[in-house]
Amino acid sequence: MPRYEPLNPQQHGSLRLRPRSNPDPHFVQIVASEFPFAAASSPVVFTKDPEKGSFYAGAVLGFKPTEAALKTRAERGGFEPLNLQREGFFISGENIIIDRDSPRFSESEGEPLFDESQQPSVSLRQMQRLLGQLHAGLEATNAFINVLVELKLIEPLNVSLAFDDGEKLTLQGLYTVSLDALHALDDSSTLRLFRAGHLQLAYLMAGSLHQIRTLAQLRNDRLSRAV
Amino acid sequence: MVRPVRKIVVVGGGTAGWLTAAVIAAKHRSRIPGQFSVTLVESPNTPTIGVGEGTWPTLRSTLSRIGVSETEFFRQCDVAFKQGARFARWTTGAPDDGYYHPLMYPQNFSQLNLAPHWLVQNNGRSFCDAVSPQGRLCDEGLAPKTIATAEYDAVANYAYHLNAGKFATFMQKHCSEKLGVKHILADVRRANVTEDGDIKSLDTEQAGEIEGDLFVDCTGFKALLIGETLGVPFKGCHDVLFCDTALATQVPYESETSPLATHTISTAQSAGWIWDIGLPTRRGVGYVYSSRHISADDAERELRAYLGPRGKDLPLRKIPIRAGCREMFWKRNCVAVGLSAGFLEPLESSAIVLIEISAKFIAEQMPACREVMDIIASRYNEATHYRWGRIVDFLKLHYVLTQRQDTAFWRDNCDPATIPERLQNLLLLWRYQSPWFHDEFDRIEEVFPAASYQYVLYGMGFRTEVDPSSLAGQEKSAERAMRENLMQTERMRTALPRHRDLIRKIVEHGLQPV
Repeated sequence: MPRYEPLNPQQHGSLRLRPRSNPDPHFVQIVASEFPFAAASSPVVFTKDPEKGSFYAGAVLGFKPTEAALKTRAERGGFEPLNLQREGFFISGENIIIDRDSPRFSESEGEPLFDESQQPSVSLRQMQRLLGQLHAGLEATNAFINVLVELKLIEPLNVSLAFDDGEKLTLQGLYTVSLDALHALDDSSTLRLFRAGHLQLAYLMAGSLHQIRTLAQLRNDRLSRAV
Repeated sequence: MVRPVRKIVVVGGGTAGWLTAAVIAAKHRSRIPGQFSVTLVESPNTPTIGVGEGTWPTLRSTLSRIGVSETEFFRQCDVAFKQGARFARWTTGAPDDGYYHPLMYPQNFSQLNLAPHWLVQNNGRSFCDAVSPQGRLCDEGLAPKTIATAEYDAVANYAYHLNAGKFATFMQKHCSEKLGVKHILADVRRANVTEDGDIKSLDTEQAGEIEGDLFVDCTGFKALLIGETLGVPFKGCHDVLFCDTALATQVPYESETSPLATHTISTAQSAGWIWDIGLPTRRGVGYVYSSRHISADDAERELRAYLGPRGKDLPLRKIPIRAGCREMFWKRNCVAVGLSAGFLEPLESSAIVLIEISAKFIAEQMPACREVMDIIASRYNEATHYRWGRIVDFLKLHYVLTQRQDTAFWRDNCDPATIPERLQNLLLLWRYQSPWFHDEFDRIEEVFPAASYQYVLYGMGFRTEVDPSSLAGQEKSAERAMRENLMQTERMRTALPRHRDLIRKIVEHGLQPV
């Protein structure tokens, strides 16, 4: 069970931050500003929040929840999603919340969060910036998604993959931008998308789908090597 | 010179009027505005009947086709999910007597008829539970989809329960704003008829004369055009379906979180049955009975007993009903849709589905000109008579399978003289083979598919004789299908949210269109 506490120097003055240690998951939420970096190595898609049914964007790093990411950070060209970097930290209104039970926090190891005068350390300031980016990024991404929904540009993504060990995987619950619908848009809507920077995001998503095949090939090669 | 059909005038603004106007306007959207027009004339004074709150899954495709957002439909019409009907006390009358008619087809229905396999197994599992997960979903009050399922998509097949009054208002707005239907508030004084018998125009109190090429009579029981103007007689079927009176009320919930049934509950009484339809805001409850078999006072007592202490002071509305239909539905340039065409007790929610099928037929087969209209009309009459007869048979089936002997109502229902000949033949046939795909339900749009007959027959303890050797070679696939049904049932039970929770989420967050 997570133990959430609002971050403050009185309570957390001696707390230290360790590097992330959890393996990268098979899917991670990302924000619009990360699309160019993510799309170079991973499929960028939409999926639905199971509680609200609303769309959010994410990068596919692997094909099964039980398997870790198929590419390392280096193989992704250094792309490390903000949502992974911020492990242990959350935002609630104006405050930063930490999960005190996250393995990132220690009394003895890692970088201090606060200096002697109870001011945020370099590493905490970096985290604050990162959380700010994430927060702003979520708003920008939601604006992008709302426009796509309004213009009926989102379509379900049907992917079936067959692997050499006989396993067939169907990726369910993923959505992408419909290029057919995009290309059928009237001029004023197209211009609106372009001016808002949304057209580029749409094409980045569509183009990133080629990464599905690359990832599948990678997984297949590992399977045959494992035999 | 041909006389093109371009001006469609729908008279009446209830569920039938607005749905028909919407379906026609949506189908001919590309011709509006242009020479083609759909006008709905509605009296500013006539209240709509506003019963008939149960629907059939066809409404999902109808609403989707006319461009309605399912989310908005839920938000504005007090909509709940309907996954079937539970018939209580119809077979023996005992307190624990009951079965489901769910909306999902039996497993693998298009490949394999599981009914004979179930009949020989006799392992104590009800037919519904052996072949479909939906009875369990209803028992547990689970929704047929999740908040992440797209609008109109289903995890388990579903229809709706809705507030018919709000639905008419909702459709009116949609028709006017999105579909280009002209809305005229005016009382029709009379219809002007040409020498050869067509309706030429309507004289109205407030809007003068309204001309049209095709008139759709949605004026309810009044049947202003098809009955009063064109004199098409009404053909009753009280000799088959005895119920002629409804006693209706609305029951508030104890709290906003009270469980919300996801099926219609139909409970047999001494001289009819009580419907119980849960909307998120209230329950609609009513007793449909035969006044030849019970007095109004006794009927009220039975209804109040059903309602319990909460129903002691609820006001009741008495509605006379006439079971039957017109001898002709489309005459000259006038077609009747909804209650003007006919009425049957709402035992299987056939009213709105019939409106949809009729509207679709009219929209798809819209005669290009007056010269071909009679050909279409005769097809329409044939198809509609067929459907009407099928519905009567299917409703009667619920009554003739009863083992109840406790009142004259039930005994009279089993009198062969009251059973239509086609149904008698089917009942004989079904003693030796079960209804299935290649049975005689062969129309493209059957109101009730063979699966529905299976659920009712075997739900009510009907036995079809099965020679086990005739099943040889299929046992394995049947076993697999039933096993798959059990697994699917478990998967759905873990994945699906509670009915009321999902409706709250739909109202709050909305469903995505994809």
